[in-house]
Amino acid sequence: MTKFIAIVGTNSDQSTNRKLLQFMQQHFADKADIELAEIKGWPIFNKPEDKHVPAEALALADKIDQADGVIISTPEYDHSVPASLMNALEWLSYGIHPFVDKPVMITGTSYGTLGSSRAQAHLRIILDSPELRARIMPSSEFLLGHSLQAFDEDGDLTDTEKVDKLDGLFADFETFVDLTKQLNNASGINKQEATDFSWDNLG
Amino acid sequence: MKLVGIAGSTEDHSYNRTLLKFMASHYGEEADIELLDINDVPMFNQSDDQTDSDAVQYLNRKILAADGVIIATPEHNHTLTASLKSVIEWLSFNIHPFNDKPVMIVGASYYDQGSSRAQLMLRQILESPGVNAIVMPGNEFLLANVKDAFDENNNLKDARTVDFLGSTLQKFVKFVKVINTLNEPTTAEEEDLSASGKIDTTVEGVDMNADDWVEQAAAKTHAAEGDDYIKLDRGLLTVNQLNMFLNTMPMELTYADSNNQFIYYNKMLPTEKMLAPRRPGQTGDPMSSVHPGRAVKHVKQVINALRTGKTDLVKMPVPGNTPDRFIMHYYKAMRDADNQYKGINEWVLDLAPIVKYYLEATGQQLVADPNAKVDATSGASAKGAEKPDATASASVEEAKPEETATDATTSASVDEADTPATPAAPVAPAEPEPAAEVDGTSGASES
Repeated sequence: MTKFIAIVGTNSDQSTNRKLLQFMQQHFADKADIELAEIKGWPIFNKPEDKHVPAEALALADKIDQADGVIISTPEYDHSVPASLMNALEWLSYGIHPFVDKPVMITGTSYGTLGSSRAQAHLRIILDSPELRARIMPSSEFLLGHSLQAFDEDGDLTDTEKVDKLDGLFADFETFVDLTKQLNNASGINKQEATDFSWDNLG
Repeated sequence: MKLVGIAGSTEDHSYNRTLLKFMASHYGEEADIELLDINDVPMFNQSDDQTDSDAVQYLNRKILAADGVIIATPEHNHTLTASLKSVIEWLSFNIHPFNDKPVMIVGASYYDQGSSRAQLMLRQILESPGVNAIVMPGNEFLLANVKDAFDENNNLKDARTVDFLGSTLQKFVKFVKVINTLNEPTTAEEEDLSASGKIDTTVEGVDMNADDWVEQAAAKTHAAEGDDYIKLDRGLLTVNQLNMFLNTMPMELTYADSNNQFIYYNKMLPTEKMLAPRRPGQTGDPMSSVHPGRAVKHVKQVINALRTGKTDLVKMPVPGNTPDRFIMHYYKAMRDADNQYKGINEWVLDLAPIVKYYLEATGQQLVADPNAKVDATSGASAKGAEKPDATASASVEEAKPEETATDATTSASVDEADTPATPAAPVAPAEPEPAAEVDGTSGASES
């Protein structure tokens, strides 16, 4: 069975992004094994000269390495990705490169109407940077607005149109994961470049 | 001009901090730039509110008190650092010091890009509703290849870069002045008598309406008192000496700051003996608490005329004056060295004894002016003959409010003969926090 790591893109105790991922975990249980991952309590990235990466980041990097793909669900703070998620991605690209060529599906929720649209666009830019270099599923977006009202007491998404959309996107993501496995001609080079990449040696 | 600089990195060797330090030392004539430290700010977590922590409150205070902010951002993973983003999230969660604050973005990076993507993202973040900073458009300063950019004394090597950065900073200084002028209440209606804004001297966390506001605020600010010395322009007094000095002035003095908060009067007499009675418990009150509702419109007009520089002095006789008692209120705008409005010095005194002494000493008598438009027995204000103003004087508390509405000579006419004032100086009484977010995705709110 396909194995996905689902990263909750916030350190908050209350999060409808966590709820969405928990829903997906249950809803797609017969299709994939989805494991939720948290980023709470990680130290703030300070670019240590000894390149020491905290244990939390190493553990998640290991899980990502072994997974077929990653799902990230992001809230939106100040029109962008929360600092806690940015922080996790900084550690996950500092001397370790679990995201290189890894298929990624982005989702997001918000209390208001927009469903974290700006944060998702921001996250794509970040995941496209040289030391992350993820394979983000193109031309797809799952924006869940008014997320406080979106789930029933069992944690199920109540809007059937939204569920249909999510079903479609998830099926596409599984196909995308398979396709990505064939896009392997450059993967060795990509990994090597990300490893060799050093802002210090550029310019 | 006072600016603060934030380097968006917590790493030990930050070239962005080096860049800000260079700006602070090299362009001291343009502005006073103080570097702020973000190293102790915890990671933002909305379920663990640390707004009141020292590190966050320190940044809040410094930014509120500054005329503008310079942010130097590195670029990690095509965007700004999580540490800088975390700071901005704290400062847009329950407090909003960036609201309407002019901001300049600069950035340094190892590579040719010079932090271009991080700067764009930072701009977008700063302009989001919860932050609501006013970022200077254009004038992008990207410092590429930073490892070779500074000499061993941490000075920028390239003369053209130094010139360009200097001219950019000059533009920012002008931008700050323009923006802070925009933020100024320009009409009387915009005057906020509830003092809900904040200025750099506002003492936060103390109830303005508390009867012991003075004691509470003094404790909070560790205020000088008693025999502590205060250096003045020009002299040196202890607090006790200063009190004696002010309390023997031949007039009642009142201080209202630019946030429209009543913060001082010279308590030389018991309330009932004052010409314009003030009670000790009123000190610290917002102006709205010490004026009857019907006076609000007039009070706002007076404050705004002083703030915007329409005049530097407003004067008016109180109602009910007689030949033996002619009480005047004077309102004088106080401005700092940069001509920024800092509040009102109000003094109240009885002119009758002075006139009486003058007549006796020179052997003269008063004679009614047959051409006078005012009733000679009440109100000698030269301009007082203009439209009667039913809302009456703007004194802190009317001794006899019921009389004010009937007296036709009471008027806050702006005396045109006074020194022509310069245009409004850019003081920035902070706007109230933005109302509820338009969309839940804005601001540092959970989703």
